[in-house]
Amino acid sequence: MASTPALLELDHVSRRLSGHPVLQDVSFSLSRDEVLGLLGVNGAGKSTTLAIIAGVLQPDAGSVRIDGKDVNDDARTLRDRIGWVPESVPLWPELTVAESLDACGRLRGLPKSARKTASERELGRLELNDIAQRLCGQLSLGQKRRVGLAQALLHEPDLLVLDEPGNGLDPVQAAQLRERIGKLKPKRGIILSSHDLAEVEAMCDRVVILHDGRVRHDAKLDASLDARRGKLDAQFRAIVSRPASAAA
Amino acid sequence: MNALAVARIDLKRLAVRPFAWTLAGIALAMMAWQFLLGVSAFMHAQPTVPGPASGPGYVDAVVAPYLLNYIQLCLVIAPLITMQALAGDRGAQRLALLTASGASGAQIVFGKFAARLVFLWLLLIIVATMPLVLGGATHPDWGQFGAALIASALCVAALTAIGIASSAFTSEPALAATAALLIGEGLSLIDAGVRISGGEGGWLGYFALHTHLEPAMRGLMRSEDIVYFLIVVALALALAMRRVGAERERG
Repeated sequence: MASTPALLELDHVSRRLSGHPVLQDVSFSLSRDEVLGLLGVNGAGKSTTLAIIAGVLQPDAGSVRIDGKDVNDDARTLRDRIGWVPESVPLWPELTVAESLDACGRLRGLPKSARKTASERELGRLELNDIAQRLCGQLSLGQKRRVGLAQALLHEPDLLVLDEPGNGLDPVQAAQLRERIGKLKPKRGIILSSHDLAEVEAMCDRVVILHDGRVRHDAKLDASLDARRGKLDAQFRAIVSRPASAAA
Repeated sequence: MNALAVARIDLKRLAVRPFAWTLAGIALAMMAWQFLLGVSAFMHAQPTVPGPASGPGYVDAVVAPYLLNYIQLCLVIAPLITMQALAGDRGAQRLALLTASGASGAQIVFGKFAARLVFLWLLLIIVATMPLVLGGATHPDWGQFGAALIASALCVAALTAIGIASSAFTSEPALAATAALLIGEGLSLIDAGVRISGGEGGWLGYFALHTHLEPAMRGLMRSEDIVYFLIVVALALALAMRRVGAERERG
């Protein structure tokens, strides 16, 4: 019997930006009900990897598959299964939160009734009802991140791609965000990038460490949070302190 | 569907932006003033005009120069209204959001073009309403009026498309506006020297906006003029679509 394909598979993905190799031969996979943390120093290729998964960038080589299907073969259908929140949340400052969600639903091709239902669901789920009529341009960073998440969840994607979701948030907001992401995990695969090792330890089931555009480490985290504590930090430091040639 | 969604989002954004309303207000105030001046000059000139059959009528004396003034104004307004379209969205990651939502480069460009064209055409309709209200009293040549209006609408579409194309090639809205202004002014003035000296523009004249607006302002709607404006629109939008479509490869 054939095994079920992973929700997301990156197969030997490479990408150059402005002539420099940013990703080289990157391969990893993600299952449903799994949260994968993508770690790396600045410029390691985390955001590029996530942008490729979201379909915003095209890989120079290799392929990205969702449930075994290449995203380039049926881009529209497969992109509808992905929700993406980049590091700087893209919002329309002139629109209210409710209008912004409606606009995203429209872009996804949701009919009017489905848009209304989905908007109400996400406003409730991410506790945005109080600010639904506020202009997006007037929101705080934490609120913007929640609106970005609501936009990404509107079409109930199977795969959620979050680029530095906790960046710039205060400890309380970061803890709330972790809790919300935890609630989103069932029936879904989540991949997130972060600099915050504690955040990754707390939220993720598995970690991929990128360094100089290559995967240097791909392993499940210990089941118990106590057992994880400190281990990831030591692994991360060991990998990023190695020269690129030695790591390769 | 996606192009329509993009157009609706951008129209909504334009409708709530003070910038668009300010531009529209200033443009309409300037046009109203131009119209009053035109009507005043026409009324003073009336006693010296021999008769409606041989002299310039209301459309020749008032409407055509008035619509040409609107085109001159659009050389500035169109770059200002289009500069944020793609350049601003690119800088704020909104272009990436549209791409991630499944919109193609062509849908994004067409949606943004349509939204701004609707805005500028609405402005043109309001501008055209001023001479229209005097239609009952002045008995204008409706054919000539229609031709002038269609040519103006096509020219506005061409200037909007040029603005969108300029916006597609940069992340700096100010740079996009400057480029669109220079291209628009270039097309407007390309044969100015030859025209001032009284000669024909020749092949250079074919590229000039003026060459294709003037016959319509006299009531002559030529297919070559329509084709010229459509080519400018198609070429500018094709360049913009190509640039936005290549965004995934370029990064």
